[in-house]
Amino acid sequence: MDLIIAALPSLLKGAVVTLEITSISVLIGTLLGTLTGIAKVSKKRLVNGAASTYIEIIRGTPLLLQIYFFYFGLGYLQVDLGKYGAAIIALAVNCGAYTAEIVRAGIQAIPRGQMEAARSLGMTYSQSMRKVILPQAFKQIIPPMVNEYTAILKDSSLVSVIALSELTRTGQVWVTRTFRPFEIFGAVGAIYLVMTFILSRLAGRLERRLKTE
Amino acid sequence: MISSRRKAEEENIFGSNGASPKNGSSEMISVRNLHKKFGDLHVLKDINNGVKQGEVVVVIGPSGSGKSTLLRCLNQLEEATSGEIYINGVPVTDPKTDLNKVRQKIGMVFQQFNLFPHKTALENVTLAPTEVLGLPKTQAEQIAYDLLEKVGLSDKAHSYPSQLSGGQQQRVAIARALAMRPDIMLFDEPTSALDPEMIQEVLEVMKNLAREGMTMVVVTHEMGFAREVCDRVIFMDEGIVVEEGRPEEIFTQPRHDRTKLFLSKVIH
Repeated sequence: MDLIIAALPSLLKGAVVTLEITSISVLIGTLLGTLTGIAKVSKKRLVNGAASTYIEIIRGTPLLLQIYFFYFGLGYLQVDLGKYGAAIIALAVNCGAYTAEIVRAGIQAIPRGQMEAARSLGMTYSQSMRKVILPQAFKQIIPPMVNEYTAILKDSSLVSVIALSELTRTGQVWVTRTFRPFEIFGAVGAIYLVMTFILSRLAGRLERRLKTE
Repeated sequence: MISSRRKAEEENIFGSNGASPKNGSSEMISVRNLHKKFGDLHVLKDINNGVKQGEVVVVIGPSGSGKSTLLRCLNQLEEATSGEIYINGVPVTDPKTDLNKVRQKIGMVFQQFNLFPHKTALENVTLAPTEVLGLPKTQAEQIAYDLLEKVGLSDKAHSYPSQLSGGQQQRVAIARALAMRPDIMLFDEPTSALDPEMIQEVLEVMKNLAREGMTMVVVTHEMGFAREVCDRVIFMDEGIVVEEGRPEEIFTQPRHDRTKLFLSKVIH
């Protein structure tokens, strides 16, 4: 117990870093994913193809490898993003591919008549998308989006491999210093649990509120 | 393009069949050799027809006869496979035509209403005028309030579609289409999804529109409506116009067996 109390301040510091990189990459990832999702339902073959290629590459390779690529791979080409930069971009690009599929599904779940009604009034495709389709789609995809955010929060532990001092990495350092993996990793797990629990409660509340509307 | 437009104008001079005289003005909608295929399915087979300004045309026919497809080709929600369609002389089948511009002047009312569920009745009506025409919000709302009153729903301006009955939703949809000040209104089975007691309130709004001189093309099974307000009935079957004429002719002395058979099934 004394050990955990001693480790707690630095573990919490690590948790803050985890939250930082997660929230920044989720923000960028959501933007990227929204654009890609819209591109995915485009009838223009080039736009659609580019979106599909991006999604396939990211979903078809391990996140760990993507982190290696953005840190060591690009580093080798003299593109130094720094630990933070590489971690955030890797997570954002990963998050973007998964949210793109969520956004695409959300758009396609809106009845065809909505787009037809908007177009029949003389609205352009992009006006119809922005004013009619997306506002409805976003409402429906909030729950799966929050799930994705939770996944990214947990997966951010993988950036410990590039020695970025987030929660997991901080735990590892404490383990090598004290040789007490059971207590330390137990504490690390508990902190992750608290964070994901809060997120999923938030998602549940949002879902209920949207249902009653 | 120029030559094809000229050709259509020449054809207009000769006009279509004499079934539709309403102050003899030129054709607002002109359909020439229209074909529509969905894969192997040949839905419209060489349609030639026209609608004059102020004319109210009702299209009837069994399901699968192509009547809805024809209507949807008029504003190019359905792309024509071949043939030409002119709206006010503008060739909408020409890929160079700005369809958004043309569609502003063609209102459409759908069987399933297709109101925007995330917007109130008022917002449904103001969306296109503000977005497309760039009208200031207050002006668009003034127009919307007037139109909602016209369809008898001024008290429902701030209700969401889910809070409205089917008949009320369809009347909002009509107001929404009218907000763009269209020259033509297309109705695609506007009462087919309604409970029987709500059909009349929608038909009443449509009848008023017809009396005000709106050019209308209506796909419907409401024979009473056709008899009462329309200038011409078009009977379609299997992708062709089987016959057309004034409602009293079609309903009392149909010439073709297919028309007789269809009418015997729908008129009780």
